[in-house]
Amino acid sequence: MIPRGARQPSLADNARNSPDPELIRRLANGELDALGALYDRYQAPLRRFIARSSGNSADVDDLLHATFLAAVSSAARYDGRASCRPWLVGIAAQLLRRRRQTFGRLLAMLSILKGTTQTSRDPRPELQARTDVARALAGLSAAKRMTLLMAEVEGMSCSEIASALEVPIGTVWTRLHAARRELRQTLRGADE
Amino acid sequence: MTKLACPRLFEVEALRDGRLLGAERLSFQRHLDSCACCSREVVELQTLADRLCNSGAEADADELHARRERTRLLAAFDAKLAPPERTLVPRGWLVGAAAASLLVLSFFMYFRARSAAAPGTQRAVAVHAEGSASWSRRSEGPVEKILLERGALSIHVDHTGEKRRLLVVLPDGELEDIGTTFTVSAEAGRTTRVSVASGSVVLRIRGQAPLALRAGEIWRPSQPAVVSTCPSCEPPPAAGATSAPIIPPSAAPTSPLSSARVQGVQGAQTALPPSDRRASPAASAEGHEPSPSLDFRAAMALLDSGDNAAAAARFSSFLNAHPRDARCEDAAYLRVIALQRTGDAGSMREAASRYLRQYPNGFRRAEVAALAR
Repeated sequence: MIPRGARQPSLADNARNSPDPELIRRLANGELDALGALYDRYQAPLRRFIARSSGNSADVDDLLHATFLAAVSSAARYDGRASCRPWLVGIAAQLLRRRRQTFGRLLAMLSILKGTTQTSRDPRPELQARTDVARALAGLSAAKRMTLLMAEVEGMSCSEIASALEVPIGTVWTRLHAARRELRQTLRGADE
Repeated sequence: MTKLACPRLFEVEALRDGRLLGAERLSFQRHLDSCACCSREVVELQTLADRLCNSGAEADADELHARRERTRLLAAFDAKLAPPERTLVPRGWLVGAAAASLLVLSFFMYFRARSAAAPGTQRAVAVHAEGSASWSRRSEGPVEKILLERGALSIHVDHTGEKRRLLVVLPDGELEDIGTTFTVSAEAGRTTRVSVASGSVVLRIRGQAPLALRAGEIWRPSQPAVVSTCPSCEPPPAAGATSAPIIPPSAAPTSPLSSARVQGVQGAQTALPPSDRRASPAASAEGHEPSPSLDFRAAMALLDSGDNAAAAARFSSFLNAHPRDARCEDAAYLRVIALQRTGDAGSMREAASRYLRQYPNGFRRAEVAALAR
């Protein structure tokens, strides 16, 4: 029973206090407030992950939107784990990977049309980086950068990363090792 | 002097990535307590992870921006749920796609029908009918059919254009054009006369062996079903035979094959090169030279009809008459096959041995060698 004078909890309040599996279940049923609550809960870490993985701040909002809308489509297949953050990160990683492939194909086509050699790396992330860590991270290849962030920042296991990126687990281990080595070398140089 | 790194240093990363399990994990954890090098590596990796976690705040959006984006996301989600726009657009798209497909299909059918109507064929077959002749004409795929009920038709076929079969369906059989110009008559449910002006035709009257008629030859039903230009090779007339040879006025006796040529030609529309098709009538019109194509086709027709003994004989005749023809190897091989089908093992082996002698590197050498054994 609600005590006299106390405010009746709204649907938004209920959503805000619901555990992740409950939110995802309601999302699968098309409940708008569940999506709002999910956004409030995870937009910051997701935005950070997307921004650092892509290295291009211009697309972050669009990719964040696409991630949440893709989560709505996949909500019915959610595996029920307590935190849906790795799941959302996995969706974002897939979108980033597809975007990178599409961008790569477009760049290759333009290079063929123009008759020039394609540059191997997008220089924008390094130019936009403000800290040493961000600069060192931006110096990694997109695949290594994303793998490292998923493992070290998002706390995802190697098998989860392999599943999200659709690569063999051995590739994840290799990328992680190479990324750590390169990052340490860069940071050591910067510290000196 | 540099202190050597611990040989188990690589296991630090393996432990961190969850690659070490069970006993290996326990062993390495025990090792960590005693190895300063590995412990330092653990700390360094953890420091690196902490630096990564603590950075990246520059990507965070301010509250107003986050609220604005939230509203945009919810509006997009709402629009996604709205049913009318979702159903109407695909339906309209489907109708458009169906209409476009129908249009493309109708264009395709139209042009296909146009090409199937074969303007070349319509022009290529010229039919002149007598006043009382009753006939009709229709096209059935690759075959142009002329149905003659009664009367006489003079038909000229131009073979320089499109290659289509021309079949004259007669009351008691059919006539297939191989050459160019001929006249055919029918009365009272019977074919009464076939006259070939140039080229050749194959006449198939029901109940009788097919006949190959060449330029200058005339067929009438009151004579035996053999046309021969060689009196010595002419078989005795069968009792009660209704067809008879017509000796063309211009035809001189040529080869014993001429009599065999007109026997048992069935299914004569085999794969014949256009050059042969055109060359054959011309040669026969000039002096009734033996035609390799016709002979080969006749032999093939016999083989197809199951008359294996006759087919073997025809292939033998072909080999004797046209020893330089490109189809000789085929004929030699098919003679072996025909003899095998007759069950005459001795003759078959003899023919197989002959094939192997003549074509030691022939295409069917392996098969014929097996038969020869």
